[in-house]
Amino acid sequence: MSRTNLIIAGVGGQGSVLASHLVAMAAIRDGLRARVGETFGAAMRGGAVASHVRIGKDVHAPLVTKDGADVVLALEPLEGIRNVVKFLANGGLLLTNTRAWVPTDVNTGRAEYPTIEAIKGAVEKLGGKTIAIDATSLAQQAGNVRTMNVVMLGALAGTGKLPISAKTLKQIVRENVPPKTIDANLRAFELGFRAIREGG
Amino acid sequence: MGDYLDIVENSPGKRVLLMGNEAIARGAIEAGVCVAASYPGTPASEILETLALAAPKLGFHAEWSTNEKVAFEVAAGATITGVRALTSMKNAGLNWVMDMFMTLVYGGVRGGFVIAVADDPDAHYSSNEQDTRFAAFYGEIPCLEPADQQEAKNMTRYAFELSEQLELPVLVRSVTRISHASGDVELGALQKIGRKPVFDKHWKMPYRWNVYGPPGAVEKHSWLHSQMPLAKKAVEKLPWNRLELKGKQRLGIIASGLGASYAREAVRKLGLEGKVAFLKIGTPTPLPEGMVKRMLKAVKTVFVVEEGDPLVELQVKAIAKDENRDVEVVGKLSGALAPVGEINTDIITNTLAKTAGVKLPEDRKRELARAEASKLVAPRSSTLCAGCPHLGSYWALKQALRMAGGNVWIVNGDIGCYEQGGYGLFAKTVRPSLSTESVRYPIDTPYDTLDTNYIMGGGVGLMQGEFQSGYKDGAIVAVAGDSTFFHACIPAVINAVYNKAKGLFFVLDNSWTAMTGHQPNPTTGETATGEQTKALHVEDIARACGVEFIKVVDPFDLKTTTAAIGEALKFDGFAIVVARRTCTLQLQRQKKFVGKRIIVDQSKCTSCGLCISLGCPANTYKDKKGGIEPLLCNGCGMCAQVCPTGALRMG
Repeated sequence: MSRTNLIIAGVGGQGSVLASHLVAMAAIRDGLRARVGETFGAAMRGGAVASHVRIGKDVHAPLVTKDGADVVLALEPLEGIRNVVKFLANGGLLLTNTRAWVPTDVNTGRAEYPTIEAIKGAVEKLGGKTIAIDATSLAQQAGNVRTMNVVMLGALAGTGKLPISAKTLKQIVRENVPPKTIDANLRAFELGFRAIREGG
Repeated sequence: MGDYLDIVENSPGKRVLLMGNEAIARGAIEAGVCVAASYPGTPASEILETLALAAPKLGFHAEWSTNEKVAFEVAAGATITGVRALTSMKNAGLNWVMDMFMTLVYGGVRGGFVIAVADDPDAHYSSNEQDTRFAAFYGEIPCLEPADQQEAKNMTRYAFELSEQLELPVLVRSVTRISHASGDVELGALQKIGRKPVFDKHWKMPYRWNVYGPPGAVEKHSWLHSQMPLAKKAVEKLPWNRLELKGKQRLGIIASGLGASYAREAVRKLGLEGKVAFLKIGTPTPLPEGMVKRMLKAVKTVFVVEEGDPLVELQVKAIAKDENRDVEVVGKLSGALAPVGEINTDIITNTLAKTAGVKLPEDRKRELARAEASKLVAPRSSTLCAGCPHLGSYWALKQALRMAGGNVWIVNGDIGCYEQGGYGLFAKTVRPSLSTESVRYPIDTPYDTLDTNYIMGGGVGLMQGEFQSGYKDGAIVAVAGDSTFFHACIPAVINAVYNKAKGLFFVLDNSWTAMTGHQPNPTTGETATGEQTKALHVEDIARACGVEFIKVVDPFDLKTTTAAIGEALKFDGFAIVVARRTCTLQLQRQKKFVGKRIIVDQSKCTSCGLCISLGCPANTYKDKKGGIEPLLCNGCGMCAQVCPTGALRMG
């Protein structure tokens, strides 16, 4: 594959932007080019956030095209399906955390939250595959619930869908997280990686 | 998000990931910028944020100015003393600058002056979609338009050189998808400029820095015109303008800035590499006319791709009139591309396919599956943050307005996080009204509060016109934040006092420029580089402006805030209420926020719905019973004050 298109989706505050930058930095370290198109608005918490990551020898545009994502990495299931609908390629993978961050619209009875089963069914009809893991629990297990984004990066590395090595990605995580959280983040990466290699 | 060390280090050849705004900042650092000034505005804020990080280490000046016009003047003043300066702003920021902009160009500059503007096609973060490349055309200065982050850095660096060569400011035009996107960038060496600031009133031209000085403005305008041929000559040689033309190509693409990146991908997607001629544009004004002429003579059809309004397309059509009247120009003017919104690879691929006569495959079954899957996608309305002080301010305002009388109030909004008070969330459908009388609409949540909203500082001016018209159907209010107050409200406050306007000006002071990412402002007590400085207070300035009713309240205290607003609404004159409490998000970051746990007793809930009308995302209302989402709740206690039955109470 000469180019890999990835969307990292989540809710403001979950660390999807950082996760996308870590993937792009790892790609550059491995000698590839990288683009990250970010969608984030105000500094507020709780909004839908999606980062488009494009890596390869020859990438120009910052955005993934319609039906162009090889992987949608979802830190939150609703944000996963939101991006799958528009961007997941036929044959693509939705790799999602199972833990919901329920939007105010649902909390106030104005909308319904989809079940993981319904999401899996929809992905299948779009020609894709779903892998769901409880990354939030794994992050807690790693010692810091805020490492959930890195659990998901470990899982992503575990799928082998990236043209970069898991070793490089892990090294980039080590270099770019706050010093006090390095150990928890490395544990998180490992737990995510193993959840795919051993469980999925 | 580049590494801070990468931004300041002299490590030429190193390849790093930089956000477009960081790349622009790095370009300025490589060029030896001496003064940088800006006002925060998405998607441009990170340019100055990055420069402010680097400034103390590299020994240059970086500041958040009170507004874009002041920032522009600070940078322009520096260039008059011969040093290099940069000012950065979002699209709308340039509107504040235009007076100085259109006049400064008459005498030009001595040190290199770069104006970096981030436009926002599709209005992701803005009140409009304006294309500021036209300002460069209008002001007769060159505009550089990067296709990616590497070009953003390289062009900014070069823009200082070009500026000094032409003795004119140079505009670098970015867009959201450059500024707020990241890419791999190879760093260049840091130039050692180290110029001593000097002043010469008649440098190369009598009264160089005084547009009225003899021989006056018309002569200086004439000088400005004489620089354009030099600019045109310079741009023909730039690496960012490049013509790829072979013998028998019938179709050509002329693509400017980011448009070139989309067009490249579209060409590849359709397998048209080598089959279409390609002119990549890095300077939409002045255009590399020689290259455009060669392209127009060679092909039958030209597809113009650019982000924003058809600036390049208009010029291409004008050149075609002289060079090749038969060439067909396809773009926004021809209707092939939408004249609004942003472009992307998909849009350009579709139009290119039509233009080139390539058929794109359709998959009906997939479209049906997509439509089915879409039904699962619940909305995620953006709201104010859990425990945001603005929630209390809006709650109190609503209560006070209701108590003031059952008539049609007008609440004028402004720009900041609190502008969400006019977003009308939760996908409400609004039918246009044809009433000839004033109409009162309910405020169900804070997101229904604001009735008008346009630009920075606009509301407090509008409220005066509403009053001076003789409007009598209800209270007249304007709402603005602290940073907005300093940016643009002060002349309007003075005007209200001077011209005897009446009404309430409600200032929501969270002590930070929060929406753009928590930059400090004149009331914060610190500068862009983190130095301590005098903190100015809204009430002190209001008092000095002659305002006679001023109250300062804590918006977490709903009762007192409501009472203060109620009193202000009864005041026979221009009244100011300042609701002051530091942004909750910022306090959490500084680990200073200590809230209490909210205790929920659903047996006491009468399903009155008051708690969710507060609009806090931490309040839940499943099966019409008030509750708390513990992961989000900050324990500010406002909902416990709102709940009349004790179903929600402070722990």
